Amino acid sequence: MVVESYGEVDILDESHIVTVRKTIREAASRIGFGVTDVTRIVTAGSELARNAFHYAGRGVMRWQEVENGQSIGIELVFEDHGPGIANLEQALEPGYSTSGGLGMGLPGTKRLMDEMDIRSRVGEGTTVTVRKWRRK
Amino acid sequence: MANERISVIKVRETLMVTMPADPDDSTITALQEEVLQAMARYEASGLILDISAVETMDSFFARTVVETTRMVELMGGKTVIAGMRPSVAITATQLGFTFGNTKTALDVDYALDLLGDRHPRRPGHGR
Repeated sequence: MVVESYGEVDILDESHIVTVRKTIREAASRIGFGVTDVTRIVTAGSELARNAFHYAGRGVMRWQEVENGQSIGIELVFEDHGPGIANLEQALEPGYSTSGGLGMGLPGTKRLMDEMDIRSRVGEGTTVTVRKWRRK
Repeated sequence: MANERISVIKVRETLMVTMPADPDDSTITALQEEVLQAMARYEASGLILDISAVETMDSFFARTVVETTRMVELMGGKTVIAGMRPSVAITATQLGFTFGNTKTALDVDYALDLLGDRHPRRPGHGR
């Protein structure tokens, strides 16, 4: 049996946020994360999937297993071609929101993961990459 | 994708709502209206939101739950959130979510105690 170490989920409607969660849950569990880390990773993915869907209308989530020396991990990349984030610093401030939410999405997601990288251009879209590591 | 159903039952004066493990956004939104209407229809005084099956609670889900407890309060009812898993409690807190003044309980049993819904209930005996 071939075990996939990467995958992709299109986010085209609201129900795909659930598909993203299920996909990440399976992947993170298989990589060997414990239940609390799996919950953190799935929750972070849920926030990012919802962001892509709400701000851009659609997007894509790619996941892959990653390795770095003594560590093994999971990388999630969320890409959309929405309006982009005009002020990244502000978007990472707790409590800041342009959508009427509580503004905990991005700063909260960052706390749940080990690494977060955001690339965004106004009018072109946003790519958010997050990683979580564990010892081999 | 199948839309998971929310189970709503009334036991004595209390409405018990069980959330599915991984509900989509529209199921979560439907929870609010369904619960408020059931509170009025059954003339319940308390609400127990059993989230023991819930595996993931992101900010949208958590916000809707807290909003629902406030709405129930406006209608004169009390809410207890029961059975939050340790992993969900850790994640919700790190995400930055505070449940404010919302009452919580380890399980449905303790939640009933908190609501003061006593057994046995006698005719004419208040809540």
